[in-house]
Amino acid sequence: MRTVIAWLAALLAVVGSGIQVVQQTHDVRRLHGQLQDAQRMQDAELAKHSRLLIERAALAAYQNVERTAQTELAMRFPLTVERIER
Amino acid sequence: MKLWRHFCIVVVFLGACGGLAARVVYLTVTEREFLQEQGDARSIRTEVMPAYRGVVYDRFGEALAVSTPVVGIWTDPSMGGLDRPAIDSLADVLDLDADRLAADLQRNAAREFLYLKRRVPWDLAQRVRQLDLPGIYYQSEYRRYYPASETAAHVVGVTGIDDEGLEGIELSFEKILQGRPGRKTVLKDLYGDTVKDLEFTAAPEYGRDLTLSIDLRLQFLAYRELKAAVESHRATSGSLVMLDVHTGELLALVNQPSYNPNELGYSSAPGMRNRAVTDTYEPGSTIKPFTVLAALESGRFRRDSAIETAPGYFRVRNKLIEDPINRGTISLETVLTKSSQVGIAKVALAIDERAVYDVLTRVGISDFLATGLPGEVAGTLTDAGLDNPVMRATLAYGYGLAVTPLQLAQAYLCLATGGVRLPVSILKQDGPVVGERKFDEALIRTLLEMMEGVTAPAGTAPKAHIEGYRVAGKTGTVRKVGESGYDDERHIAWFAGIAPVSAPRIVAVVLINEPLGHARGGGEVAAPVFSRVVGRTLRLLGEMPDERRPI
Repeated sequence: MRTVIAWLAALLAVVGSGIQVVQQTHDVRRLHGQLQDAQRMQDAELAKHSRLLIERAALAAYQNVERTAQTELAMRFPLTVERIER
Repeated sequence: MKLWRHFCIVVVFLGACGGLAARVVYLTVTEREFLQEQGDARSIRTEVMPAYRGVVYDRFGEALAVSTPVVGIWTDPSMGGLDRPAIDSLADVLDLDADRLAADLQRNAAREFLYLKRRVPWDLAQRVRQLDLPGIYYQSEYRRYYPASETAAHVVGVTGIDDEGLEGIELSFEKILQGRPGRKTVLKDLYGDTVKDLEFTAAPEYGRDLTLSIDLRLQFLAYRELKAAVESHRATSGSLVMLDVHTGELLALVNQPSYNPNELGYSSAPGMRNRAVTDTYEPGSTIKPFTVLAALESGRFRRDSAIETAPGYFRVRNKLIEDPINRGTISLETVLTKSSQVGIAKVALAIDERAVYDVLTRVGISDFLATGLPGEVAGTLTDAGLDNPVMRATLAYGYGLAVTPLQLAQAYLCLATGGVRLPVSILKQDGPVVGERKFDEALIRTLLEMMEGVTAPAGTAPKAHIEGYRVAGKTGTVRKVGESGYDDERHIAWFAGIAPVSAPRIVAVVLINEPLGHARGGGEVAAPVFSRVVGRTLRLLGEMPDERRPI
């Protein structure tokens, strides 16, 4: 009788650990998927950041700023220097 | 059921089982290595996780070099997974020649790795992904963009296809910027998706950002003005270096010709040389302030000491030293403001043999400055032959030595600081910079006031004058060495200046190499560039005007 119980316990333990292994493997795959998603997101955000940096530099290039100031806004560099105190 | 049929089925079944078992034993024992290899080749991959290269910023955080993620697309030709329609659609999206791609795949059929195209923009790679082709793999890479393009090309430099620094800051600060790519071994499924990380060999270490001392506004201004001057004088090249007197930081460094680092085919392009640090030139009359400084230090000369320059020439041994006109008896100050060769040579011969050489050594005019810009060279200055009066006379007006524009700027920086030598730096300095005093402050002040006369209406460079500000400076017009001695046709036009004189903030050196056309002198060619660039710079930096206007 005791032998039978011991066998049954061992069998249960084997089946239980087997299920555990399956569960763990599944979790690893799921978490790996999440990690990959996070990495992809990081890549995408980095890409966005660098693209925005480049875009800003392109739009706010001093050539453009100067041209806009002179042609569209009719600004000019003052010929004389004045000290204004407030 | 007949017994023999039952028996037959059992035998066949057992036979099949035995056959299978034998096959399994055969495969695992004798073919194991080959099969394992083939299995791994189809499912296990070592992936490189590229490290993001650091961004290079100017002193106010404007991006000068930015890496943006792109994709390297590759395949394993040994798997033979790409059929003709797949090749056609791939070639179409990636803008490749389909026939050539098919031939490439054929030729490399034995290999396990072949790039289809590198540095594919993110959105384009996305379109390839949507084609859903088997056996296509994606590797993230970074491409470097240079928003300031030609304007800052010589300072920032450029990287190669594997993201390694080839020129400029990109090369010299490679270790800081680069970071280390990571590596991991992954398990892939049938569709090429990663299902499991097997082993992390190394985590990626991202490169660190770098903030330069360059002010992009001033860099742009300097580039535009220098380019215009080089074009209008049909010169072969030009350089402009601008330093901050408070910190010794490089605010602008430009050269002509330049190049666009964004359009480089990863080979050398004309105009890649950073002439301001790699090329040495004879400084000519821009050395005269240092000769005058040696004279003042000797105690034998004062600002108003009379020097006889009549009849406009004199002979030192077999060397004839000439002024364009006979200026008669003039003061030491006028020797400087009129740039008299005869006057300065006489002054140099009247003081100690090593005095001028000693002053030049103390300002470190030919020293290697170690700013970190690649290709930087030391100048040439020797004390050999100083016992020969001809050598001393020519050294007094800047022949017989060679310096880079950066070295000359560094020497003038020592005057602008009131006699303190500061280290020149290309990186933004956070704390106060400590220098070493080399000259007496009162003497330097006198010298700067004398140099102010150069930009006065009666000086050699009235065009260096800046409205509202006092400017001290010196012109130089140097004949270049040709095949048979000094060439009368090819010149170098220099202007080195300091402003505002009452509280110096900016030192700038302008060099125009071989200007053609009517105007060739430093006062005509280089001085106006100085005036325009430094004039705007002072206003952009909010420097107080200090000109004493006549009432």
